[in-house]
Amino acid sequence: MEQLNGTVALVTGASKGLGRAIAIAFAREGADLSINARGAAALEAVAVECRALGARVLAVSGDVADPADRERLVSLTLDRYGRVDVLVNNASTLGPTPLPQLADTDPVAFDDVVRVNLAAPFRLARALVGGMLLRGAGLVVNVSSDAALNGYPGWGAYTAAKAGLDGLTRVWAEELTGTGVTVVSVDPGDMDTEMHRAALPDDDPASLARPEDVAEAFVALAVAGRAPAPRVEAADLRRAVW
Amino acid sequence: MIATATDLPTLPAALRASGPAERRGVRRDRVRLMVVDRAAHEVRHTRFDRIAELLGPGDVLALNTSRVVPAAVRATRASGQAVQIRPCVRRPGEWDVLAVQAAPPFANVPLVPGEALRMGAVSARVLGRRPDIPLLWRLRLPRSEGLDLVLRHGEPIRYSYVPEPVPLDDYQTVYAGPPGSAEAPSAGRPFSWELLGRLRRRGVGLAPLLLHTGLSSYQDDDFDAQHHLYEEWFEVEPPTAEAVNRARRVVAVGTTVVRALESAADESGWVTPRRGWTRLAVAPDRPPRAVDALLTGLHEPQASHFDLLRAFVAEPLLRRAYVEAIERGYLWHEFGDAALII
Repeated sequence: MEQLNGTVALVTGASKGLGRAIAIAFAREGADLSINARGAAALEAVAVECRALGARVLAVSGDVADPADRERLVSLTLDRYGRVDVLVNNASTLGPTPLPQLADTDPVAFDDVVRVNLAAPFRLARALVGGMLLRGAGLVVNVSSDAALNGYPGWGAYTAAKAGLDGLTRVWAEELTGTGVTVVSVDPGDMDTEMHRAALPDDDPASLARPEDVAEAFVALAVAGRAPAPRVEAADLRRAVW
Repeated sequence: MIATATDLPTLPAALRASGPAERRGVRRDRVRLMVVDRAAHEVRHTRFDRIAELLGPGDVLALNTSRVVPAAVRATRASGQAVQIRPCVRRPGEWDVLAVQAAPPFANVPLVPGEALRMGAVSARVLGRRPDIPLLWRLRLPRSEGLDLVLRHGEPIRYSYVPEPVPLDDYQTVYAGPPGSAEAPSAGRPFSWELLGRLRRRGVGLAPLLLHTGLSSYQDDDFDAQHHLYEEWFEVEPPTAEAVNRARRVVAVGTTVVRALESAADESGWVTPRRGWTRLAVAPDRPPRAVDALLTGLHEPQASHFDLLRAFVAEPLLRRAYVEAIERGYLWHEFGDAALII
């Protein structure tokens, strides 16, 4: 059964890894999709995969941290579908790898990580949450990380941004209580992705979750249209019905 | 009917808001609000967020959710001359545009029928002047091109009283939805979600609709004074029609909302869901039927805006409001203060 028929979902960072898996999982469930990533060719390949599953897909390439690109993403999506029901802020960057300690972190790279991982999700959600509030329904999912809660050496910029994203989510979720609009951050756990390999090349892929499996947690959230808490772990969402 | 408001005081240049309230250190919902109370025949002065005290259960705020697009589009003529085109009516494969200089003072540029205009890699063909509004040019472009061309090559239309570029985000209302307005439907700009939430809790309904605004100026004072109206796209969906028909009092947030609702209303003021183009001009000889009250920005008395306001307010009270707004230093235009006619 297609559980997301009639749902319009916007997924950023959708050309590979978790974003791609979420887009494909949403497509399989019948969602109308707007997908975004910087690389147009890889994004179009995902669009083709999703269309093959019967989904309507708008692919808008661009950098979520760039105001003009972000405006194109928002405007073209709203022009095509009239609204967004589910926003998945998945686009994310580690910054330069191998990951430097904070004392060695290039301040420009730090700013870039904060722009992509924290400011862009805020700005994108802010552009779309108004429509959700008018309709009294909507879901914003911010992809977080266990790094947000820990002090892993080398992960300074990423951790600062993801912890900020968790904080943003907590406040927004509180402010939107009773409006029908949910904001949640999801820790997907360690996955076998290009990003994980870049950060931790020595990890055994067999010990990591597959993005396709983790994506099912995002389907569960989108179907429910709400979340059990402002911060959840994907593994728990896949295990439990709440 | 054309307003003759020449005896009204001239607007001092300093009262033209040069940018968003937030950049002046004022929250968007804390700009000033002038209340024109028709029953009491008086003009009062308050702050925008106190509008919640003036509205209550049974009132419906009708909101234009149209998103502003960057409608000052860079183009190049075959001669190599840079020109700015401002699309105001967009249909698949065909635009009606104002063509102006690429830099201030943005005077009109006569195009040549048959010539090609390039926007990035896309070429548009000039078909000729629009017969009913000769300052507008009809362009043909590939049917696959449309909004994205504007988004890629445009910037927000900015008039001389806004000296510095303002990011497109700053023109949007907090409830902006589908894109298409050439200029900001700015009456709703002062609303914050905090304020809209408070209004909802007071029992005030929020009813969204869509009207993509065109241009407020043809960049030609004489032509502007003739009030040439062209069609604008609007959409009134069933839930909004129902909410408006049920309302004790319908407050239009902006003149664009008046235009949309009145275009969807019959002679008795009953609103039916509709979408399409409208050229309706609400004025004293065609007063509002569905709309009871109006929240509006402050615009120059010479503008056609004045004509529409006269459909709501008897002229002596309206003139008093204009005079008081100027005397008290209200800020005007899209980033300025607001007025509520109840």
